[in-house]
Amino acid sequence: MLPSIDLRIANIVKALEQVVLPALTGRERLAKDQVNLCIGHLHMIAQQWRWAAAFEAGSFHAMIALAEQMLRSVDPGYAEELAQAIASAKAVEGQGLAEVEHAIVALGGLIDRIILGEDGKVALASAVWEAVLDYGEKQALRERTWFAATGLDPDRQELPSIAAMMKA
Amino acid sequence: MDDSPLLAPRDDVNVWDRSELEPRIRHVLERTVRLRDTGPYRPKSDSQVTDMLTRFFAAKGLEDIAITDVERMSGGASKEQFAFTLVHRADGGGERLVLRMDPLEAIAQTCRGREGEIQAIMGDHMPVAPVRWFDADGDLLGQPAVILGFVSGVTQPSDGGGQGVSGMGGQLGTLIDRLAPQYIDALATTHRFDWARAHLEFFDAPHANSNQAAIWQVNWWSQVWWDCLVEPVPVVTLAERWLRENAPVCAVPMLVHGDLRMGNFMFEESSGQFTAVLDWELAHIGDFHEDIAWTMQKLFGAWGADGVFLVSGLLPRNDFIAQYQAASGNAIDPARLHYYEVLNAYKCAVMDLGQAMRASVASNNHQEVVLTWLGSAGAVFLSHIVQLIRKG
Repeated sequence: MLPSIDLRIANIVKALEQVVLPALTGRERLAKDQVNLCIGHLHMIAQQWRWAAAFEAGSFHAMIALAEQMLRSVDPGYAEELAQAIASAKAVEGQGLAEVEHAIVALGGLIDRIILGEDGKVALASAVWEAVLDYGEKQALRERTWFAATGLDPDRQELPSIAAMMKA
Repeated sequence: MDDSPLLAPRDDVNVWDRSELEPRIRHVLERTVRLRDTGPYRPKSDSQVTDMLTRFFAAKGLEDIAITDVERMSGGASKEQFAFTLVHRADGGGERLVLRMDPLEAIAQTCRGREGEIQAIMGDHMPVAPVRWFDADGDLLGQPAVILGFVSGVTQPSDGGGQGVSGMGGQLGTLIDRLAPQYIDALATTHRFDWARAHLEFFDAPHANSNQAAIWQVNWWSQVWWDCLVEPVPVVTLAERWLRENAPVCAVPMLVHGDLRMGNFMFEESSGQFTAVLDWELAHIGDFHEDIAWTMQKLFGAWGADGVFLVSGLLPRNDFIAQYQAASGNAIDPARLHYYEVLNAYKCAVMDLGQAMRASVASNNHQEVVLTWLGSAGAVFLSHIVQLIRKG
């Protein structure tokens, strides 16, 4: 691929840093802030883009695994619908990013309904609580790593690199 | 003030009753959904702002109005802000003012009427930017706004090394010793404020000795989540259930600032003297533990040079608790503090992964690039939710 994605991102960052920012007067503080954030986003995208499809596939796989964990202890009233949703989701695994994103919304919507239990009318088994917390812990770690470059995470020094996380 | 549990019978509400919501908050959330499809929002130009302000001040009865030196302000993640100078017949010298205006959607959908009302009153108790006018529903300006007197000061020292987004992540350095007592005093003064005698127009109060204070908050933020949902996040939903099933009693509702942390107090850099406590938009009547838990969040703090984590960049956690209790007379209940730590992590996750994402997807803000930047921190709060719920 010529020019490569990395090269074009680097070119845009250079243009913003060396042409656009110096052209802004001191009065244009919001514009300066936004250009700096654009540069920050571009640096982050440069780290992420080659892993993006794999990252989303990993998130989807983890959600399917959560649904399978939930199926073992879920209220019988949800079991059939959840089993069907898992089967539908598995049929999407390996497809393109857009299909995976759509499937995450569909499966996640059913998981939400089960967690809420028709607004508290259906009990949530302790095993399901634990399954959601386990999933949440792992997924939060992945996402914190994915976005560590914002510098907003106070514990970012504990996180692996994106490459190390994706290869693990 | 002692707010230990009273002997009076509890006046609880159904924890799953989603209609248990402060009326003005319901109005703002419903207005948000109603107007969502009228976007996308375009940032206002200086000339548009001048025209809006001129019409507004004319409607307020000012004559020979001149709006000059309109200057867009940076900072904050929520409101579109402009500094300007107003000259009119009765004030030929002019006054430098700040317009804080709602875009169609922001990271938090709040009420300029509440902000203007409470900030005006609290100006009698602590330094705040003086409130000159507000337009709660945008009837005159075209969008809700508050107009404040301009206040000088900084939110971080020039060498603080902050991240530049919403005042988070910086270092307060040698000013800590001067800032910390003022910060504690601002919290204690807020909680001591006698709201019941203030005849607030834009606020309602939850029942005392009831779980209503907690449920109003859960319903506020869960409604935001479900109104904004872009992608399901199971931990957010689990947190909602936990918050409903564990809602504590608030014996004595107090004024809660809602966002008092590093970045939301301004001070004179040379002296460290507070010039303004900022951002009253999330203020409400509720449980003071909500403010304490809010400021203790890791994202709003900083690591000191000795490796100790500082609440709001100012004090180690235990020192903060001791000094707050001494200043306020409020005893912090660890169980309620824990509950509000979960609530606040939930609230932040809802703002970052819900409202900010919806506003960005709909292109309804003036700085989506800030919203997606802050949204990237959503997982920090998901991680906290998991840790806190496990701690039980």
